[in-house]
Amino acid sequence: MTRDRKAATLSPMAEPSAPGRSFDEEALPHLDTLYRVALRLTADPTQAEDLVQDTMLKAYRSWRQYRPGTNARGWLLTILRNTFINDYRRRKHEPVAMDLEAVEPHALYRSIQDTDPEGSFFSQIVDAKVLEAIDALPADFREVLALSDIEGMPYGEIAEALKIPVGTVKSRLFRARRQLQAVLYDHAVEAGYIKPRETAP
Amino acid sequence: MSRLDCDQALAHLQDYLKRELTPELVTEVRVHLEHCRDCTGYARFEESFLSMLETRAGQTTCPKELRARILAALRAETTGS
Repeated sequence: MTRDRKAATLSPMAEPSAPGRSFDEEALPHLDTLYRVALRLTADPTQAEDLVQDTMLKAYRSWRQYRPGTNARGWLLTILRNTFINDYRRRKHEPVAMDLEAVEPHALYRSIQDTDPEGSFFSQIVDAKVLEAIDALPADFREVLALSDIEGMPYGEIAEALKIPVGTVKSRLFRARRQLQAVLYDHAVEAGYIKPRETAP
Repeated sequence: MSRLDCDQALAHLQDYLKRELTPELVTEVRVHLEHCRDCTGYARFEESFLSMLETRAGQTTCPKELRARILAALRAETTGS
């Protein structure tokens, strides 16, 4: 179940002055990751394709700035993210964070623990709905969710790629998951996969 | 080693599930989970949520056409310069 972390374990022996491994060898293996992250950032397949292509071309042109032996995936993701921020039109109605601050972290679990403790209602929700719910998260949230929970990247690598502290990665991730769970739960209730929670007395 | 209470264990749960805890804390959380059905239930729920996310969104691959287009564009860069 756990994705093995394909953190770019490049040889630390790579000579810094040598051309090192080629762009093809270092960058192309990350195309799937770049595409998935681009899909979540843009929430639009056509834009995602353009974003990945732009990213790869930029990376190729600045390949000399890449230090062999460092993390190629993180390096590419930083370029992808900067390209997205600078060149791609943000959605007109960028989703905002739900106000979940007051809610106990496991409030949702409390309401299902007697009827569906394993959260099997999640498996009844169709893929399209899950993706739609992810894409309805605020950009900062879906970004960390994509990198951590979909790509399986460690916090440290995410922090480095996004240039934010590890603590910020964790708090965004935490809130992203809670918002996503709340949305999926509401959907499951609406679709009749699960009985609505009884309002606490 | 002090036993974690539920609040302390749950505070570490996210990092525990993502394998981001120190070995000492992993042990402490595990010990708590072994003794607390309530927290174990919650941990399972979070785990199933995380694996659901990975299965639903993590299987998509870069379309073949896009890969080909990118390779062609890269090749054009090389020969064009």
